Amino acid sequence: MISCRNVARLLTSDELAAQSRWKRMEVRLHLAMCKFCSRLARQLELMRTAARRLPDSTKEDKDLEERLARRLSDRM
Amino acid sequence: MGFHDHRAEDLVQDVFLTFLERVDGFEGRSQLRTWMFGILHNKARERRRTSPGDERTDPIDAEFESRFDARGSWVNPPGDLDRLLLSKEAGAMIQECMEGLTANQREVFVLREVEGLETAEICKIVDVTVTNMGVLMHRARTRMRECLEAKGLSRR
Repeated sequence: MISCRNVARLLTSDELAAQSRWKRMEVRLHLAMCKFCSRLARQLELMRTAARRLPDSTKEDKDLEERLARRLSDRM
Repeated sequence: MGFHDHRAEDLVQDVFLTFLERVDGFEGRSQLRTWMFGILHNKARERRRTSPGDERTDPIDAEFESRFDARGSWVNPPGDLDRLLLSKEAGAMIQECMEGLTANQREVFVLREVEGLETAEICKIVDVTVTNMGVLMHRARTRMRECLEAKGLSRR
């Protein structure tokens, strides 16, 4: 059985997606049973959602990207 | 990327000038976004004179470990942060807590959590291995969570 510590480490390091299918399943099963690890997972998700809403985030970058791409194609 | 407003403006200007200088040599091989962040990263590092590999130890590791017993079960489980993270002030608190990260941790945190870049893209920009990136992310998100939890407790 995977420990809470190892689940927490995989969640905070954002490395879950890179794990084997078996490992991901093991973590999912653990999260379904462990209140504190699932709380941590939820917190990290909420933190990401709030961080994405910060000013200067992706939306404005897309504008910048477009402006730069236009400038780039003008010069080529 | 780890700088305050006035220095950041300076840095962005520097990046933009470099971009214009080198734009003719741009072959379109990498995504424009990766390329621009790459320049920004290199400029930022020139000013900081540290590399992500410089951070071998961090006190946050001990703090993380102290939450578990020898078998790896929670002894000091995460506090409830739902109300705080769903509140209007969540963004401001996240920004405040980001001040407590090291420059390298902040860079990785911003690129992944704020800008939403993929791990492979970030490794290319910051020039770290996937393993190093995992360590930086773990420390950044753990420290952010600890900071938010402390703020949540002080609000009660």
